[in-house]
Amino acid sequence: MEQSLQRQSGVQKVVVSLRDGSVEITPKDDGSIDPAQLLKATYDSGVSVVEMDFTATGRIVKTASGGIALQVEPNRSFDIAPNDLSRPLDALADTATTVSVRGQLYTKAAGKKKPKGPLPPLKITILEVQK
Amino acid sequence: MKIGKWLLLAALAAPLAPIAQAQIKHVEMRVEGMT
Repeated sequence: MEQSLQRQSGVQKVVVSLRDGSVEITPKDDGSIDPAQLLKATYDSGVSVVEMDFTATGRIVKTASGGIALQVEPNRSFDIAPNDLSRPLDALADTATTVSVRGQLYTKAAGKKKPKGPLPPLKITILEVQK
Repeated sequence: MKIGKWLLLAALAAPLAPIAQAQIKHVEMRVEGMT
């Protein structure tokens, strides 16, 4: 799994802890990394992902469905699930302000060993808005 | 006139410029089934 993740585009460093069951991935300086690809590569190597968190900086943009998303690259954004921490971000939508957030991108559905079919689109549950 | 041209060029190029500092800084996964 470690080698598979290391081969993914934009990955600089992968640190696996067998004891904690955690995998830490550091992107290259340009930050062009695709969490969905990392998730797929992990499942493809026979390991189940219980949870995926990330820290990212980006702009808040409005989505076609009326929600908000974090745009981390010109062509990559993640929808934000509304919660108490995401509400203040609504005011920043479509402005030039960048925000740093820590959020959860994926959690395995309870009881399921591996999701059937394609993995669902990643959505951010904001855990912390950093200054 | 020359300055006007540069301003126009900058305005047209601005949407193409990368978002300042926007990037994924760190990813962490909790996994099971690792041997």
